[in-house]
Amino acid sequence: MKLGNPELRSRLASEYVLGTLKGGARRRFEDHLKNDATLRTEVAGWERHLSPLAERLAPVTPSDRVWTRIEARLDRQSPNSPSAVKAVSLWESLTFWRSLGLRASTLAVALLTAMLVLKPVEQSPILTAVLAEDNNVARVFVEQQKSGMLMVKMVTPWKTMNGMSLELWVVPKEGAPRSLGLINDTGETRLALTGMDEKLSGGLVFALSKEPPGGAPTGQPTGSVMCKGAIAHMPSKVPRTPI
Amino acid sequence: MRVSLMFAGNACRLLRNRTDKMTAMPSQVPNTVNEQLAALLAQAGLGNRTAFADLYEATKSKLFAVSLRIVRERHIAEEVLQDSFVNIWNNATKYAVAQSAPMTWMTAIVRNRSLDIVRRPFVEVQDEDDFFAINMEDERPGPDEQLVAKRDQVKIERCMQGLDGEQQQTISLAFFQGLSHSEVASHLGKPLGTVKTHIRRGLLKLKGCLES
Repeated sequence: MKLGNPELRSRLASEYVLGTLKGGARRRFEDHLKNDATLRTEVAGWERHLSPLAERLAPVTPSDRVWTRIEARLDRQSPNSPSAVKAVSLWESLTFWRSLGLRASTLAVALLTAMLVLKPVEQSPILTAVLAEDNNVARVFVEQQKSGMLMVKMVTPWKTMNGMSLELWVVPKEGAPRSLGLINDTGETRLALTGMDEKLSGGLVFALSKEPPGGAPTGQPTGSVMCKGAIAHMPSKVPRTPI
Repeated sequence: MRVSLMFAGNACRLLRNRTDKMTAMPSQVPNTVNEQLAALLAQAGLGNRTAFADLYEATKSKLFAVSLRIVRERHIAEEVLQDSFVNIWNNATKYAVAQSAPMTWMTAIVRNRSLDIVRRPFVEVQDEDDFFAINMEDERPGPDEQLVAKRDQVKIERCMQGLDGEQQQTISLAFFQGLSHSEVASHLGKPLGTVKTHIRRGLLKLKGCLES
C-alpha cells in the first residue's frame, strides 16, 4: 500500500480515526504512521475534529479495581520506566555521579550551614543530604523523615529562576536519574510520590537541575546541574529485637 | 456532577501546588481544564504518581464511557482502561501539547485500544438492544459534561447538524460503536457502497465545516 496520494492519505486517516478502518488495513496503516510524520499530523487533525463527539456520552464510573490494577502494573514495571532511557550530556555519564563522593570539607561546611538554618527535629531521619554547588555553597537540604515522603528545604535560594523550574533527581547506582518532582525555589517543599521508596532505593546522589517550566520535557534531566550532594543513610532507630 | 467536582478539586489542588512552586510566575497558573490536564500529564511524565492518580480520577468516567460504547462489556472496557492508562503513563513524556489537547490524546489511546480489542474474534458482542437499554439512556450532554473542550464540542455539534440525516447516522454509528462499514451497512439495512459514500462525504463536509 503506497500512500502517496493526498486524497487517499486523508481518507484513510479519517477512517482510521473514525474506526471504520479495520483488520489488516488498520495494522498496515499503523505501520505507515510510525514512519510518516505528515500522516501522523493528518491523524492528529482528525482526532482533534472527531474526539469532541465523545463529550456526548454520559460518563460511566469504572470499578475501583481498575486503578488498583493499573497501580499494580506500574509497580511491576521498573521504577524509572516512564523516563525511558534517554539521558543527555553530563547526566549520561553516571560514572561522574558515582565517583562524585563529596569531599569531607564540603560536607562539613554544608552540614553546618544546614544545621544553622533548620529547626531541630524530634524524629531522627531515614536519610539526609546537603546539596551544594561546586564552590561548596550549600543550597538545598533534603531529608526523609518517613517512608514515601521527602522534605526539601531551600537553604540558600538563587536570586532569580527566570521562569525556570527546579527539578530534584535521585541518581542510582545503576540506570538513569529518577525524577522526584519539582521543588519550590524558596522555602520548603514536601514531595510525596507513590513509589518514592522504590525510586530512592539504590540512590547515591541527589541532584537539582534547572528545567523548563513544568519540568524536564523528556523525563530525563535536560538542564544544567544547579547543585548536588551524596545521600547519607541514617542508622535505623528501630531497636533490634533480641534473637 | 461528579466529573465537574473532580475537576474543581483537581483545579484547587493544582492551583495550590503551582502557587507554591511558582510564586514568581503567577501568570503560569493553569486556568482551563485542558491546561490542568496537560500539567498533570507533564508531571506524570516525570514519574509523579500522585499527579497520574489525579489525571485518572479526572478522566476515568469519560474515557470508560468511550470504551464501553465500543466494546460493550464492562469487564472488557475495564481491561481497555487499564491498558490505556499504563500506555498513557509510559508515553506521557511523548505527549505534545502543540499536537493535541490532553483529552483528545487520551481519547485516541482509549479508542484505539478499544478498536483493537473488539476485533478479537473471541470477544462476544452482546445483543445491541440490551446494550442500548442499559447504556444509552442519556445521549444529551448535560451542563456538567460540557466542561472539557466546550468550544470544540459546540463546534462539532453545529457541524454535525449541518450533515444530512444519513451522514450523521452512519458517522455516529461508526464513531461511537466502532462499527466497520459493513457492520454499519447491515445495522441500517443499506448497501455497503451507499454507507461508504455517506461516511466519506459526511467526513469531508465535517472537515470543511470544522476548519472554516
